[in-house]
Amino acid sequence: MHKFEEIWLTLSAGILIIFMVVVGYQTFALGMGPPSEKETIDPQKVDQIAPFNDPGVKKIGENEYEVVMTLQAFGFNPGNIEVPAGAKVNFTMTSKDVTHGFQIAETNVNAMVMPGHIQKISHTFDKPGNYLILCNEYCGTGHQMMSTTITVK
Amino acid sequence: MNTTKANISKQQEGADDVKSLKGTLVSTGIVGAVIVIMWVAVFWLYMTRL
Repeated sequence: MHKFEEIWLTLSAGILIIFMVVVGYQTFALGMGPPSEKETIDPQKVDQIAPFNDPGVKKIGENEYEVVMTLQAFGFNPGNIEVPAGAKVNFTMTSKDVTHGFQIAETNVNAMVMPGHIQKISHTFDKPGNYLILCNEYCGTGHQMMSTTITVK
Repeated sequence: MNTTKANISKQQEGADDVKSLKGTLVSTGIVGAVIVIMWVAVFWLYMTRL
């Protein structure tokens, strides 16, 4: 094998291994994997099944909140949420109709919310401000209007 | 005599190969650098938004 080939093959393999080790460590050791909740729910009875029969913001610990949210064309219930700065917020969501997206701008929160499935994702809001929540899965003719905010004070 | 000529031409061919692979090495390096820069940029973005 040519010397140059050895160089680029070694470098390529080395870089690939480093990338995989870093991503693997983050996913399995630090719990930074993508949201992958495996619970299911009957999408036609969302309003009758706990916790979705009572969507809202609930305080579950010292500066820790659970947001039980249902997504439906073309809105989030509850919308315009307020939490104090430094709060850890655990979102538990499901869709009542079609597949929606749940993205909080300027954070790593980005999840697909599908009918028949329960989705969970957490984020700690350290910086105060007004965060935009968007649906990023095309869900119908009013998709572009599907947004709300989370205010961190 | 013929054998010597053949050897010289083989050496020249070898030298040409090395020369041609330099360009490949540089191109591969550029592509690799782009991949690494993009990966590090996305990684940095993710870490700053935690």
